[in-house]
Amino acid sequence: MLTEAILPTRRPGLGQRLPETVSRVIATAWRRWFFDRHAEFWLRELGTTWSFIAPRARVVDLIDETADTRTLVLAPGQRWPGHRAGQYVPIEIEVDGARVRRCYSISSGGAAPGARRIAITVRRVPGGRASTALHQLRRGAVVGLGTPAGDFVLDGPVAPELLLVGGGSGITPIMAMIRDLVDRRQGETSHARDGRSVIVIHGSHNAADAIFGAELASLAARFDWLRIHARRGDDVESGRLDAQALRALVPDLAYREIFVCGPLGLIEVVTQAARDVGALHRVHQERFVAPAARSAGAGVAVTVALLRTGVEVVAAGPGPLLAQLERAGQRPVFGCRMGICHSCRCRKLRGTVEDSVTGVVSSEPDQEIRLCVSLACSDLELAL
Amino acid sequence: MIAHPSKPLSPAEADSFGRELDAVRERVLADLGQRDVNHIRGVIRMARYGEVAGRALLHVGIDPLTFALGVAALSLSKILENMEVGHNVMHGQYDWTGDPELDSQSYEWDLVADGDHWRKSHNIGHHVFTNILGRDRDIGYGFLRVSSLQPWRPLHVLQPAIVVWLALLFQWGIAFHDLHLDVSLAGRQSFAVLRRRAGPVLRKAGWQLAKDYLVFPALALWNAPRVALGNLFANGIRNLWVFAVVFCGHFPDGVRVYHPDETRDERRGDWYLRQLNGSANIAGRRGFHVLSGHLGYQIEHHLFPDLPAARYPEIAAHVREICARYGQAYNTGRFSVQLASVARLLVRNAFPAEAPRWFTRAAGRVLVRARPRRSIP
Repeated sequence: MLTEAILPTRRPGLGQRLPETVSRVIATAWRRWFFDRHAEFWLRELGTTWSFIAPRARVVDLIDETADTRTLVLAPGQRWPGHRAGQYVPIEIEVDGARVRRCYSISSGGAAPGARRIAITVRRVPGGRASTALHQLRRGAVVGLGTPAGDFVLDGPVAPELLLVGGGSGITPIMAMIRDLVDRRQGETSHARDGRSVIVIHGSHNAADAIFGAELASLAARFDWLRIHARRGDDVESGRLDAQALRALVPDLAYREIFVCGPLGLIEVVTQAARDVGALHRVHQERFVAPAARSAGAGVAVTVALLRTGVEVVAAGPGPLLAQLERAGQRPVFGCRMGICHSCRCRKLRGTVEDSVTGVVSSEPDQEIRLCVSLACSDLELAL
Repeated sequence: MIAHPSKPLSPAEADSFGRELDAVRERVLADLGQRDVNHIRGVIRMARYGEVAGRALLHVGIDPLTFALGVAALSLSKILENMEVGHNVMHGQYDWTGDPELDSQSYEWDLVADGDHWRKSHNIGHHVFTNILGRDRDIGYGFLRVSSLQPWRPLHVLQPAIVVWLALLFQWGIAFHDLHLDVSLAGRQSFAVLRRRAGPVLRKAGWQLAKDYLVFPALALWNAPRVALGNLFANGIRNLWVFAVVFCGHFPDGVRVYHPDETRDERRGDWYLRQLNGSANIAGRRGFHVLSGHLGYQIEHHLFPDLPAARYPEIAAHVREICARYGQAYNTGRFSVQLASVARLLVRNAFPAEAPRWFTRAAGRVLVRARPRRSIP
């Protein structure tokens, strides 16, 4: 960086600039002559999942894990960028005409770039639009596929001593890690395996409800380095986990790298136990539910995080969000200011707003709103 | 002011009129779903297949029959893409789907008019200030005299002839609409501003010209002249059709023009009333409405510009019923009737109000029968 600032930058020669210019002109022409949307249309029409702009995947297999949980095996339409065990991937489907985008942990193990198959495991949430629709998909259905992301992953090439805690559907990224470990450790010599163990605590309401219960049991039987503790909420002996029980169950807790995913209560228990033994810095956590946004009703001062601008402002006073943001010194794009032209449309990633014309309340994540007719009802995150 | 058949409403009546229309809007919004998306994707599919068929016929054929069929398929595809898809998508009618291909702010249509320019001048200028003299540039587009409230100038006598050319080149009319050329000519807009406005318009037009008259002809090798001519015909047919539909939206008899003073302190109900009384419908079958982007439901479109246009027929039933209860005229008529009415208006306003009535009427009879009728395919 420093040298760049000091040394005079030389304008690259024509020979270097030409290919770049040519490719830019081609890209512009491709778009200006509508070849881009023709290409997308005909690729879809021909039944492929390949795409220039919006990666997609085909559902190639469906596996029922429990009564309300199903694994979808997906074949990405184009080169999979690769992911590490424990990461999630945004999945987009159409529910009654409208796109719904949700992130799901990848339950298959880590995959190198170019992998042919990945899997997500979805628990059907009562009243959940996305999970219900995903459960209705048949083999051959096509879903939108985002880029895998997330830092809930095993670090380093060789895993240290581990404690993996998964509660409910929180077992899915944990399962990906276990599958990854199984793959990796099969290649290792027995010497390298010595002295390192993986403890898995698998929480669920009851045996029938335990996602991957049978598979985990059979893996534990095959590999001596893997120990599974199944905790069933309805079982008097094992019962719900608390910090004390966890310390008793894992005496060497302080020396283990801890990964926990599941309900908030479970995460708190694990965090507390780790804090007790001074191992808080070793806890990695993943939660599926964002902390609930406080819905105060329209007209209350709220904090609005503008993610593109990277600032947080307080929206207060009368009027819709557009006016409030303007008073807070922001200059969002606007047009008619009466809700008909869609110029001020933006994506709301989190929070609740009310439509000042129709009174419709939008509290789902990732929804398009129009600033000029939206009344803020809670703290918001906007893609502005 | 010409007497208007709609009853003037008290502020309280106008408010309740507005609330009833809001309720209609809410009902439709709550009901949007898969069938709306299926409809627009079906139209897109028709347009894409039409384009490929049309281009294939133009590119590989050598006989006049395939030429005619190719032109027909290509113009049909352009009409569908511009009207039912482009116009409606760019109004934000399908933003609720979250489909990037149906996204209002990034959609670009196969027309020389630049999308961003149009979104601004049409969605904001025309739809908010509909039929307000001096604020809605769609009242005569800055060079036509379509209302006796506009001052007459001698050049207006050329209006009937100019309109024929405008019809043939309508996409260029839309493209140059937001340049405010007339304002520059009147010396009220600087050349620098004009040049800034013209930038995106000329860029878009350049790419469009290159596509229609260089790239596709070049791909046809020895058939290049045939393809270029076919594209010209297809663009022309589309222009005539769009012109006819658009001119029937606000210029037939009985459509009101508003003075800016009347619309000061306008409330939501008043805005609805202005949209209603400033627009006119065309009666027709389903096919006609899809080809016209449902602009035959101009009234419903102006009341609810961002509701999916394919819903206008069912909305129209409610709107008519509400209008009847509030004593509001609902301007509708057959295509030929509305077109003739537009032609009469253009001829009548080509002459000053002081011109003898027998003269304007006679001129109208000659011009109307000769020109615009023939321009409709």
